[in-house]
Amino acid sequence: MCRQDSRIQLSAEEAIAAEESLSIYCRPIELYNIIQRRAIRNPSFLKRCLTHKIQEKHNKRLLMTVSITGIMNDGVQMQNLLPLYLLLVSPVSDVVVAEHSAVYRINRGRILTTSSKFDGRDLTQANFELPEINKLSSDARAAKLALLLVSCGGTGSSVCGGGLDKDSLDKASFPSSFGGYCLWGKISLESLYMSLAKCGNLISTHSAEMLSSVAMHSCFLEPGCLEEGNSISFKIPHNSRAMDLLQKVQVNISVQEVGAAERSPYNSYKYNNIPALSLPHIMRLRAGNVIFNYRYYNNILRKTEVTEDFSCPFCLMKCASFKGLSCHLCSSHDLFNFEFWVTNDFQAVNVSVNTDIWRSEIVADGVDPRVQTFFFRSKPRKRRRLTNLGQNAKHVHPQGLNSDSTEVTKDGTCEGLIGKGACISSYPLPTTTSKVAEPSNQFSLKRSEKDALSNKEEKEMAHGAVFSEKNLRNENHKAESNATESLCATDSTERVASSPNVIGLSTATVQSSVGPECVQPISGSNHAPIAFAKTRKLSAERSDPKNRTLLQKRQFFHSHRAQPMALEQIYSDRDSEDEVDDDIADLEDRRMLDDFVDVTKDEKQIMHLWNSFVRKQRVLADGHIPWACEAFSRLHGQDLVQAPALLWCWSLFMIKLWNHNLLDGRTMNNCNLILERYKTEGSDPKQS
Amino acid sequence: MAKTGTALGCEPVIGSLTPSKKREYRVTNRLQEGKRPLYAVAFNFIDDRYYSVFATVGGNRVTVYQCLEGGVIAILQSYVDEDKDESFYTLSWACNIDGMPFLVAGGINGIIRVIDTGSEKLHRSFVGHGDSINEVRTQTLKPSLVISASKDESVRLWNVRTGICILIFAGAGGHRNEVLSVDFHPSDIYRVASCGMDNTVKIWSMKEFWTYVEKSFTWTEDPSKFPTKYVQFPVFIASVHSNYVDCNRWLGDFILSKSVDNEIVLWEPKTKEQTPGEGAVDILQKYPVPECDIWFIKFSCDFHYNAAAIGNREGKIYVWELQSSPPVLMARLSHMQCRSPIRQTAMSFDGSTILGCCEDGTIWRWDANVAP
Repeated sequence: MCRQDSRIQLSAEEAIAAEESLSIYCRPIELYNIIQRRAIRNPSFLKRCLTHKIQEKHNKRLLMTVSITGIMNDGVQMQNLLPLYLLLVSPVSDVVVAEHSAVYRINRGRILTTSSKFDGRDLTQANFELPEINKLSSDARAAKLALLLVSCGGTGSSVCGGGLDKDSLDKASFPSSFGGYCLWGKISLESLYMSLAKCGNLISTHSAEMLSSVAMHSCFLEPGCLEEGNSISFKIPHNSRAMDLLQKVQVNISVQEVGAAERSPYNSYKYNNIPALSLPHIMRLRAGNVIFNYRYYNNILRKTEVTEDFSCPFCLMKCASFKGLSCHLCSSHDLFNFEFWVTNDFQAVNVSVNTDIWRSEIVADGVDPRVQTFFFRSKPRKRRRLTNLGQNAKHVHPQGLNSDSTEVTKDGTCEGLIGKGACISSYPLPTTTSKVAEPSNQFSLKRSEKDALSNKEEKEMAHGAVFSEKNLRNENHKAESNATESLCATDSTERVASSPNVIGLSTATVQSSVGPECVQPISGSNHAPIAFAKTRKLSAERSDPKNRTLLQKRQFFHSHRAQPMALEQIYSDRDSEDEVDDDIADLEDRRMLDDFVDVTKDEKQIMHLWNSFVRKQRVLADGHIPWACEAFSRLHGQDLVQAPALLWCWSLFMIKLWNHNLLDGRTMNNCNLILERYKTEGSDPKQS
Repeated sequence: MAKTGTALGCEPVIGSLTPSKKREYRVTNRLQEGKRPLYAVAFNFIDDRYYSVFATVGGNRVTVYQCLEGGVIAILQSYVDEDKDESFYTLSWACNIDGMPFLVAGGINGIIRVIDTGSEKLHRSFVGHGDSINEVRTQTLKPSLVISASKDESVRLWNVRTGICILIFAGAGGHRNEVLSVDFHPSDIYRVASCGMDNTVKIWSMKEFWTYVEKSFTWTEDPSKFPTKYVQFPVFIASVHSNYVDCNRWLGDFILSKSVDNEIVLWEPKTKEQTPGEGAVDILQKYPVPECDIWFIKFSCDFHYNAAAIGNREGKIYVWELQSSPPVLMARLSHMQCRSPIRQTAMSFDGSTILGCCEDGTIWRWDANVAP
């Protein structure tokens, strides 16, 4: 379906228009390239998760299957031994125990029953996952591991049957159900490895099988009393020698190496109801090929691309699974809309550009970024630090997605966040309705849904907190001064406020609320807080009721005027101590300049403009100068080109800066180009 | 900084200490207010209904009197600050919106008390000065505006009606020691002159800040939220004296100022339009006042600034005709029992009554003889 040829016959004009409309992909991709380059050193959480998944998938492991073939004893029937508990344990060395006792810490437990005996489930073999054989043989801790066979005898079922409700025993719930007389046998894993290594089968065929007989000893079992309660201790009676070796259990252990070959989800796909004819077709797809259909030209046309290994077509990141891919796309590339398809035949993603201008983070051509509204999203509460991409995932606007695919998104997010490498179980199938998640996942799934809800609230809160661009400017400016070149190179029309962590971007726009001709100290902005004034955050400590009462206890005075402050002023976050009164400072600057007798009027004017600019924009370091020159040219360019004398002074000043190595030739050239453009066009050159 | 230059033919005219006997004064009353020194006395020139009312400050007490016919002084009101240690140094009359006179007093505590004499209640207290207040003056063109000079080296402009501190004249170009005296220009509402222990007289302009002054009248919010502005640079700095300058008054565009050199000096600040802060000083006249060599002795003038009266260390009062050249000493007032320093005098509207308040806590009333 996705590869059906959708090309319609187009006229030449339409073809050109279509070609142009395809270019709407360029800008977002350009942006994503920048973000990706920045994130190389510090990959996002999602990316780390997915990389880990891929690594884990390639890790070798051993799958040990234990089953009981028979009991080499005439007296006791096999029935009496069952249910038999298989415990993977390590001895507790630091606990001093009596002579005839042994204490073990349970790592994992399984139960063996016969059919119809235990909850109607047939469990005649138990699986254990073990690390790779080389690792096991080299690791000292692993050498101590042992496999215990514990049977509570004939009464076993009544003793522990009720307490065990699952086929796989929880570490925590297991020992509590034990107690009393039992039989136990032990296989040391070390010996197991030895014999495995000896037979050599494992290396050649990746699987080995062996039989061993285990002697069962009788003992008293008592639940451990370690802090976690997951230990088990045996008491061996002194006079039980006679009873010893009464029973021997024949155990069949087969070990299989898994993970050696690459396993894609399609490997585990069960092709039950697929006609044999289409199988080769699927085989072609199994390597993780994903079809991407890019829609453009009013969604009429599409281009098709296929990627391998579930990699992202924009940043070529390998995403381990289709779910991981969908997660990644939605979180990292939310300037596009995605529709995810999975059928038996193929897995495909339909891509279109998100045309939702309202919250577009890319300023379109011809739009002055200064008049754009930007959103400031603050972290409402302290949480584990999610990096950019994780944060972006919240902002996903599932526009073109139907409800099913949103489900995928959420699900994917949840998997991405939970993604623990420990589970080697087959990957959930990439179906649209992947609600068939394991029960253990259920909880987190719900939680993530709740999270999504609260995200919605956050979004709404963010709407309320529409900050004007001005408020961000300060930080912008700071970040700007040492912004990477790549961003500086892109023109100022590109503005991204994608996440709080990456506020820094280059804009050479400057605050121009106070006109250059502000002789009047009052510009009506005197009691409105000066927009670019820096405010320190003290709200956290102020909100504390204890601190509040402390503040009430005495009279506070304003740091500048020494006037008593009202309570609300004290509680407000505003700290005006470092504030500079710009109107007055401008006035005084002019007055100071007026004192010079050997300076022309134009020179004074340029000095004044520059002083005022430098103060307002906090140009503090030498490194800020290039930025300042460009921004100054932009801000005052219009006036400068109209007054050649001023322009001349400004050029001289730049040359002076260049003389002092504060300004490089390239920036000076840029400034002159800006001014040149003002001269020729008489229009705003910011829109180039 | 403007320095005095004496070019040939430009020497200041010094008045003769021989009394002209144009007007003769005699003691008509003597009042012992208390044991503590009285630092200020002032007639109410703000309201013509109360031209005969004056007030004194001394210690923590502000007292309002009325001058009656025949040398009688009637006590009208007395206010005592709750702080025993308060010592008022200065007072000035101001006016409420309904015309009721306000008394503005300040002193060692640095708190300016605005007393509503109509309701006989404390109207407001201005906090802000960091040290004692040496002088308070009222803008006669806008009697809601009050200016204060303080030991904290600043001058503050207040609106007594709304309780706002509008401007602070201090900072980079401000005084470098206690400010002892301050005065509003009689016609140029933007101008203020201040002087102090840094031996300078500074002239300030509020022209660029006048919008804030206007704003203070319509301010309805909490006064503490008013955007008080700093005026850091005076338009003129004059070094006329070589010691503490403890009193200055405008006489038209000229300035009368005195130090501890036994004289009052009349001089003209010559500001250059282009270069504020600089300029020349032209000393016009000098009014000698013998035995006036301690600081914090202030002179006062009648409503039309025809005459100035100043006390001295020995309890004598010199009355100078200000606007004649050479200056004419109208009268020298002395009394056998008046021997302690007279800190301040007060001349009535027409100059017919002169009050002197002494360090020994006495008020002396002198009345001009009715011309026969």
